[in-house]
Amino acid sequence: MLLLLVIVLYPFVWLILSTFKPESDFAVYPPHFFNTSFTIDAYVKVWSNLPLLMFLKNTIIFSGSVMVLSLLVDSMAGYAFARIHFKGKNIMFTLVLVTMMIPFQILMIPLYLLLYRMNILNTFAGLILPRVADAFGIFLMRSAFVSLPKDLEEAARVDGFNELQIFFRIMFPLCKPAAITLCIMSLMSNWNDLLYPLILTSSTEMRTLSAGLATLVGQRTIEYGPTLASALVSMLPLAILYFFAQRYFIQGIATTGMKS
Amino acid sequence: MSRNHHSISFLRKPEKAAYFFLSPAAIILAVFVFIPLGAAVIISFQNLTIYLDPAHFVGLKNYLNILVDPRFWNALRNTLLFLVLEMPLHVILGLVVAVALSQTNLFTKFMRSVFFLPAVCSLTAISIVWSFLLDPNMGTIPYYFEKLGFPGLQFLHDSHMAMPVVAGITIWKNFGMTMIIFIGGLQSIPQSYYEASEIDGANRTDQFFHITVPLLVPTINFCVITNMIGSLQVFDQIYVLTSGGPLFSTETLVMYIYDTGFKSAPYDLSYASAIAVVLFLIIMIITLISNRFFTSRETVDM
Repeated sequence: MLLLLVIVLYPFVWLILSTFKPESDFAVYPPHFFNTSFTIDAYVKVWSNLPLLMFLKNTIIFSGSVMVLSLLVDSMAGYAFARIHFKGKNIMFTLVLVTMMIPFQILMIPLYLLLYRMNILNTFAGLILPRVADAFGIFLMRSAFVSLPKDLEEAARVDGFNELQIFFRIMFPLCKPAAITLCIMSLMSNWNDLLYPLILTSSTEMRTLSAGLATLVGQRTIEYGPTLASALVSMLPLAILYFFAQRYFIQGIATTGMKS
Repeated sequence: MSRNHHSISFLRKPEKAAYFFLSPAAIILAVFVFIPLGAAVIISFQNLTIYLDPAHFVGLKNYLNILVDPRFWNALRNTLLFLVLEMPLHVILGLVVAVALSQTNLFTKFMRSVFFLPAVCSLTAISIVWSFLLDPNMGTIPYYFEKLGFPGLQFLHDSHMAMPVVAGITIWKNFGMTMIIFIGGLQSIPQSYYEASEIDGANRTDQFFHITVPLLVPTINFCVITNMIGSLQVFDQIYVLTSGGPLFSTETLVMYIYDTGFKSAPYDLSYASAIAVVLFLIIMIITLISNRFFTSRETVDM
């Protein structure tokens, strides 16, 4: 168990130390784990050479908007599936589940062409819209709404609430834990996604952190220290969020396996 | 009277409201999933390139080309190799660590948090770090191996070692996520089962194989299937770590699709789509087979 702990932590500790190494520390043999001296050169270089702030801004706009919009869209759909009887419900729910089995790779080429025709390739609208509804999210929110007490909405109807008010004022607030889980899962997958933003964006101005970093590393033009520093910077926001909201991350994930 | 009328219109409303609630998701899924899915199948029967010249139907040409394309068969073999190397070890490690950390106290909470940490990080950034650590010239890990008596290991630059190394890094990244899912499953097993078996004289190994594993079959099923689908679609770490090399030894199906359609001339979108359709069929078949295997297990064991 302790060996596993070392194996898991080793790359992180090495990464943090290495971002403060002078560039000459990477050129020595044998390589050493610890620094000969500490410097913030790498961070200064990243700051002046890479559009890191732009990548960060793009990532936040992309994954943040998807998180907020998909929470709303998935919750509304999940609520309808869970609490209301309507014609075509079974067929529609099956169709939603089918989308879970379709790999993104089969969709990416037509999606690229579709966004091109819609004239939103390489824009935020093009990045965000396809991700706004998600089968997993609908499924997760449906499970949460199903487990609420039976006559909640009847009582609300008696009180003169309309359907929209019932959803927004009564039902949705009761599903906060599932909503938080969905937000975290959505944020994690979109923040870290590579292939999707890589294909749907083409200019440096639109790249997200993952896509921007991957293309820069692919070119092998920048030095070791700055590359590592930018890798660390790209992980830091989610890692900090994880540090403070661990409980939600872990509880959220723990329940996903049971619901399927 | 007016109040009565009011309530009747409300009774009629929920169904209409349902369609209202569903419409945003339905529109998005129709436009961005179902239309592209249909289009992918159509494109795979055409000769479309990224330059979007007028395309013509070419019948089964792309599919027939796949059959005799050695690069496709190589990519399929690599993808399956990755699956076989990654999935079993990943799920077993996740399960064993979950059982070891199933009690909740300060120590296990700390360990769980640490083991989950790689799962939060982006595969791109993590892959960059590992490619530095494993670099034969400047990486510390080849140096440690040299000290242990294994000099000159090339890791990602060796066509035989590259895929196992990529699989190992993927396990390192993802086992914590699987562990947490298993801990969730473990907590739903009633403690009384273990107590009863202790009275019958069962030791911890017996308990693991006769109580824990059988009762976790649905969770194991979930982990195996999601993991398998993920493995068949492996891309990010390979893109960063090896770009499919050395000598195509780590080129997987998705790498090949990406390369064919978006990276190398003549940017043959139709051929890439045909490979994607084949990948989709492979995923469907493997998912259905393993799901059947596990659901039969579920009923037999309980």
